[in-house]
Amino acid sequence: MSMDLHCDPVFREELIRSYLTRKLSPELTEEFENHYLGCDECFEETQATRLLIRGLGEPVIERQRINDVTVIRFQSNARLMAASLELSELANAVRLQNDTKVLIDLSQVSRIDSTGLGVLMNCYCHAIKNSGVLKLLHPDAPVKRMLSMTKIDSVLETFADEGSAIESFRA
Amino acid sequence: MAALPGTAEARWLTISMTYAEEDIEKLRPKVSLKVGYELGFFCPDIDDVVQETLTRFLLAVREDKLRNPDAMGAFLNGICRNVILEYRRRSMREAPMPEVIPEPPARGIPDAGLLEMRQAIAHGMEQLASRDRQVLTAFYLEEKTKDEILKSTGMSDENFRVVLCRAKERFRTIYNEQTKHRSTSPH
Repeated sequence: MSMDLHCDPVFREELIRSYLTRKLSPELTEEFENHYLGCDECFEETQATRLLIRGLGEPVIERQRINDVTVIRFQSNARLMAASLELSELANAVRLQNDTKVLIDLSQVSRIDSTGLGVLMNCYCHAIKNSGVLKLLHPDAPVKRMLSMTKIDSVLETFADEGSAIESFRA
Repeated sequence: MAALPGTAEARWLTISMTYAEEDIEKLRPKVSLKVGYELGFFCPDIDDVVQETLTRFLLAVREDKLRNPDAMGAFLNGICRNVILEYRRRSMREAPMPEVIPEPPARGIPDAGLLEMRQAIAHGMEQLASRDRQVLTAFYLEEKTKDEILKSTGMSDENFRVVLCRAKERFRTIYNEQTKHRSTSPH
């Protein structure tokens, strides 16, 4: 096994993937474990693949279309902070699309920093450039405080109720 | 006469002469993966099972029970399997399986460590181009074969390998940095 594993990275990755998803036969599982317990390189590859799969598997943002409004929600607890995946996903979700009516649901956002606020404003500017509107929904208390402190809430309309937020786009 | 470097004899000498506690520590993450894989990564007793495995392994090595140094992995795996079996038997005896399996407790990594790991993963994901991410998702999550991916994306074999190796390199670095950080940070 060691020859094959070290000669072909794609074969090794297929094997690691099958191991981590428990698709290997018991014999191959044992053989692979015997190998990585004695091989630093293959062990590190296995751990790297675990992290990669975890990163790929984490759903970050969900886009939902309600009437003509695009609602963007975070799938799990999110932090809109510098270098957070959620932040870049949010930026991509808004800026790489040309939706004109965007509602960002912040109910899962537990923290936001200046970078996060900057990205929200960038998203807002992007929507305005497209002759669109961007609004916020359900900000948590700490997020609400940040929006209020920076007076962003005077620019970005904020709603506590989804129905009225959707309705407001009609006006 | 000194054994030639790289030979089985030299490796055997290294194992038998220098297997001190610190060398055993290098095996700890490997055994943790094996134990977590068997018992589930949420199992609260992973550390105990790993410790027992390593203790038995060290004793066995010091008692010259490891005959073939090339089969060190298999030897360690065998010990680990026994310890896991004993743990399972003990668990069954002491506490029968509940009818409703409770929610798993919080992960073993402390919150700060978990957050850091999450941020590191997020940072790694950010560096992936959208197309790379699609290819990796197809390979790792949708479990498509290389040929299927090449066919659906029109990529060349070479490109596919580059995408895979680049992503792996990034995540290997993340793993190594996290491991280094955890081993140097105070408990």
